[in-house]
Amino acid sequence: MMYIVQIYIKRYLLIFIALGCGIWGKAYAVLPIQEIALSNGSKAYLVQATTIPMIDIEISVDAGSRYDPKGKSGLAGLTAALLTRGIEWNGSLLNEAMQADAIADLGASISASASGERTIVRARSLSKPDVFNPVLDLLSAAISKPIFDAQIVAREKQRISSAIAEGDTKPEVVMQKRFRKELFRDYPLAESPSLLSIASIDADDLKRFHRNFYRQDRMIINMVGDLDVKTAKQVAEKLIAQLPQQGPAIPALPPFIPSPLAPEADRLIRIPFQTQQTHIALGMSSITRSNPDYFPLLVGNYVLGGGGFVSRLVGEVRDKRGYAYSVFSYFQPGRETGSFEAGLQTRNDQANQALVVLQETIARFIKEGPSDSELAAAKSNLMNGFPLRLDSNRKLLDNLSAITWNQLPLNTLDVWTQQVAAVKKEDVRAAFQRHLDMGRMISILVGGAQ
Amino acid sequence: MIVTLNTPRFVCLSTLRILILLGLCVSACLPLGAWANKIDTHEYQFKNGLRLVVKEDRRAPTVAHMVWYRAGSMDELNGKTGVAHVLEHMMFKGTEKVKSGDFSRMVAAVGGRENAFTARDFTGYFQQIEKSKLADVMRLEADRMANLKFSDEEFLKEIQVVMEERRLRTDDSPNGLMRELMMATAFTSSPYRHPIIGWMNDLQNMKPNDARQWYRDWYAPNNAIVVVVGDVKPLEVRALVEKYYGPISAKQLPERKPQVEPEQKGEKRANLKALADSPQIMMGWKVPKLDPKKMDDADPYALEVLSAALSGHDNSRLNRELVRSKRLANNAGASYDLISRGPELFMISATVAKGQSVSDLEKGILQTIQEIAMNGITEAELKRIKAQLLASQIYKRDSIFAQAMEIGSAEIAHVSWKDLDRIIERIQQIQSEQIKAAVKRYFIVDGLTIVTLEPQARTVSANPKPIPSLPSNLRH
Repeated sequence: MMYIVQIYIKRYLLIFIALGCGIWGKAYAVLPIQEIALSNGSKAYLVQATTIPMIDIEISVDAGSRYDPKGKSGLAGLTAALLTRGIEWNGSLLNEAMQADAIADLGASISASASGERTIVRARSLSKPDVFNPVLDLLSAAISKPIFDAQIVAREKQRISSAIAEGDTKPEVVMQKRFRKELFRDYPLAESPSLLSIASIDADDLKRFHRNFYRQDRMIINMVGDLDVKTAKQVAEKLIAQLPQQGPAIPALPPFIPSPLAPEADRLIRIPFQTQQTHIALGMSSITRSNPDYFPLLVGNYVLGGGGFVSRLVGEVRDKRGYAYSVFSYFQPGRETGSFEAGLQTRNDQANQALVVLQETIARFIKEGPSDSELAAAKSNLMNGFPLRLDSNRKLLDNLSAITWNQLPLNTLDVWTQQVAAVKKEDVRAAFQRHLDMGRMISILVGGAQ
Repeated sequence: MIVTLNTPRFVCLSTLRILILLGLCVSACLPLGAWANKIDTHEYQFKNGLRLVVKEDRRAPTVAHMVWYRAGSMDELNGKTGVAHVLEHMMFKGTEKVKSGDFSRMVAAVGGRENAFTARDFTGYFQQIEKSKLADVMRLEADRMANLKFSDEEFLKEIQVVMEERRLRTDDSPNGLMRELMMATAFTSSPYRHPIIGWMNDLQNMKPNDARQWYRDWYAPNNAIVVVVGDVKPLEVRALVEKYYGPISAKQLPERKPQVEPEQKGEKRANLKALADSPQIMMGWKVPKLDPKKMDDADPYALEVLSAALSGHDNSRLNRELVRSKRLANNAGASYDLISRGPELFMISATVAKGQSVSDLEKGILQTIQEIAMNGITEAELKRIKAQLLASQIYKRDSIFAQAMEIGSAEIAHVSWKDLDRIIERIQQIQSEQIKAAVKRYFIVDGLTIVTLEPQARTVSANPKPIPSLPSNLRH
């Protein structure tokens, strides 16, 4: 693991769920997504997969860090972390130690974390009822009855503060924070948690955030595994039974405004850092997942910087020039926000040359689009590789999660390969020109100080 | 942040990046084993010395195809550290029939995902494909087992890529540097003391012929194991392997010197200064691994259970005592690998909490160990670890890739896939007394190595040397 089986791989596998969102080939028996109407009017979703006696459950909560109040960045994340730090259980206390033991005694796992748009709580359990039923109770209590003990809150704040301070010594973290700031600007996701914002959060903030956001009308339940529709309905209803159906109106977020045209001097940021390499990020705002240009961009990005060892960026930066070990581009389309980002890390003295190659490769692709053979190769990989996107319960859950959160049609995966097949060269070029613009790209360079 | 994996002993490759970024990869992995192994797994031996292990798993129409070579960084010689990994990169640079880069293009064309990995014990190559494409990728993989051909120019570019990889993962990473220092300090003569990626100076002085020689020495069917897991019929796979790998000739392999690590006679310490915020500590004890000839020896199984008791879940001992109750640490975790070719370390790593000292944390870790040496672990803990182990055997079936990794990494260390079930059974039988005995035997100060990280602040000097601004005429 950490030492002996430390492994060097030829290239990092960059797995971006957002773009990896599902494919089911027509040639294969597709496991259908079943929509389940709950008695409170909301919906749950099931992909029944019975070959392994296990069940995965995900609760997507519309409680991402974009709802952190001003000055309290980190509140959504801390709330999620505290779901497994002690709960109320049948009227008495199950402290964090007992809660953790109870979950582990069943061979199960429960985890929760907040990202920009949503908080995700996941559980994995064996499907036999004497295990699954208590896991279900524990999961329900975790989302409904966390206690937010003041001492534990203080401890977790300390730990997060240390992690923030540690992050500030790492070039990739500093780079990504600054990129977010420039990307989101007036949108709430511009701010990252800071020592100050964490210090300003107390147990009451957490309780209030939980009360306001963890409620039935802000949750989507996704299930994959060894259970039928009837059981799934009972499971979903039991999960959320202890939560309020609704709550106070949440003020609307400001709109996510696309990256503006600006002179390069305003878009190129250099942060001196005592590292041997300079980390470079280049990107801008981009589409949401429901945008009709999703497929042309998916196919196009495979050619540009998404396709394993065969992308243009790998060819230009790594194979031809030996500038970097890892070079990539990706779109990250969310429900209301979206971005495009490319990046690499290279020796300080060649950072400028590498940036030029990165810029020129992207600029050329926006201008010209893919060649016929590149387009054919991209489609061939995406379509032939379709079954690899669905060959485990974990991957099925990732796909289900992306579909239900982004409010995509439930047949999205059934028609996925057709939509890839339908992409034409001109579609790719037009979509890249519509959504990317070198005059709007933000560049962050961290490194270079000796 | 601590990442605890309940997956097999292998950090699956997609999580590897995260683990490296988080630095502290801790894993009380409940290991190995495959309870249905004997029914659905088949093994074949070919005349040229190649072995094949096929595991049928029909739940999705996909296949994982891997070739494992028993040649890792531990087989390298002085001055040429890193050559196993460099050659792994060069394996994508073409053969007599396949042009440079075409290997990846052809795998991509059939929808495949591919990569390769180098460890101390082995080098491996894999493709994941839809089942009808198995022959396509096997033909390519077999071709590069025998016919690799790359130019000096290709090598000179790729060695730059590898040096960038080293800068990224080691030289600019305090955790990477700590791991490197731990191994280099704990081991005196064992080749485990060298980093897999190689020392920078060795990379700077590596020649194309060093990589070619490595390939000629070790890439042979009699030094390889093919592992195929997925929606396949074993006899059909055997026929494919016969067709593509069968014609390749066996080679006389270089002699492997045992290079047995001498007994450590006293505590070793090393300190690292690097850009960081919190001090860290790593403690490593010399412990035994599973000896395939002595499968009944209880100690390795006891150490596996110990590792789970220390950091198998949120409330296991290190987290409960050091992070939550005494507030000495922000994170703490243990790791141990039951199966390996080389000598084994039982590792405990922790990050110092604000206001605490690294020496108090060290004492706290030793107290946690001492408590187990005195009183063992509770029945409740044992029962919990077994429940987690049993569940992990079901969950691991969710990934054919992880199942193939499990088989390959065991086989490469001369542990048969047939023994994986037995290992799980043995771990389940471990009792508190055996853990106590193992702790008393191996957690001794004379076999201990301690590496500490002394954080250096990021100095933003009054007059920083800026990255030179971009000349507008710079074009490629």
